[in-house]
Amino acid sequence: MNIINNAERVFVSRETQAARIINVLALFALIGVLAGSLHLQLGVGEQPCPLCLIQRSAMIGLAIGPVMNLLWGMKPAHYALSILAAMVGGAGSTRQILLHIADPNDPGYGPAVLGYHLYTWAFITFAVAIVGCAFMLLWNKPFEAQDTGLRFQRSWFRIAALTGIIWVFLDLLVIGISVLPECGLGMCPDDPENITGAGDVGGWLVVLSIGLLAFAIAVAIVSDRKVLKPRTQST
Amino acid sequence: MFSMFVLWFLVFVGIFMRRTWVPTLAIAAMVWTLVLLVLHMSDPIPLNF
Repeated sequence: MNIINNAERVFVSRETQAARIINVLALFALIGVLAGSLHLQLGVGEQPCPLCLIQRSAMIGLAIGPVMNLLWGMKPAHYALSILAAMVGGAGSTRQILLHIADPNDPGYGPAVLGYHLYTWAFITFAVAIVGCAFMLLWNKPFEAQDTGLRFQRSWFRIAALTGIIWVFLDLLVIGISVLPECGLGMCPDDPENITGAGDVGGWLVVLSIGLLAFAIAVAIVSDRKVLKPRTQST
Repeated sequence: MFSMFVLWFLVFVGIFMRRTWVPTLAIAAMVWTLVLLVLHMSDPIPLNF
């Protein structure tokens, strides 16, 4: 059973479209986690610790699977990369959880969100990601559709997917650049000093402006007819 | 730790350019992240950070 994307007449199986929607939702869930940590850094002024940066690095790695699925087409190898990244991030977050439960009087690092510290939420995210990827690997139909990705489609869905992909990329740039003044090129300090942030509202505005910039770039890419010329059309 | 994010930046550039070395570099970025985690674990760090 196939559906047709009217703008470019590219046939996409329903299973592939459903898998793409799940991948976009996963991408935005990851953006939510990254946005929360960036708000804490840029808004509240709490600098990330070394283990926090290792978990952020793994979060970026986790996003690689959905990004490749959306741009290159559905492949089991892309989910495998996400699982491997989740294992690395799980190791980092487990290390930090163990550090803080070793001493019963330890209040934990940073503020708690809904009763859990960010590293506990990170561990939950990595665990859910592994289970999610395993379920997606059990579902063979999207892999059988010879999907070549969203590259040659003109649709609202492509804008949403590209917004998510570019948003993660911009978050990566912001995280990477902000590491330099805190740590230089070496290892970051274990307990970094807080900086003056943009405030609670200011922090969210910064995070949302990154998303708006990603959306604007996505609209510009989809509107550009030159990048829409397909080399081959999948059927 | 800046190097981790440089590696991920290169991975993203590779994805955008559809390069075949992307999975290899992504795995290298993960291994480097693990190496930094192990290096950090060997530090005589206090438990209360």
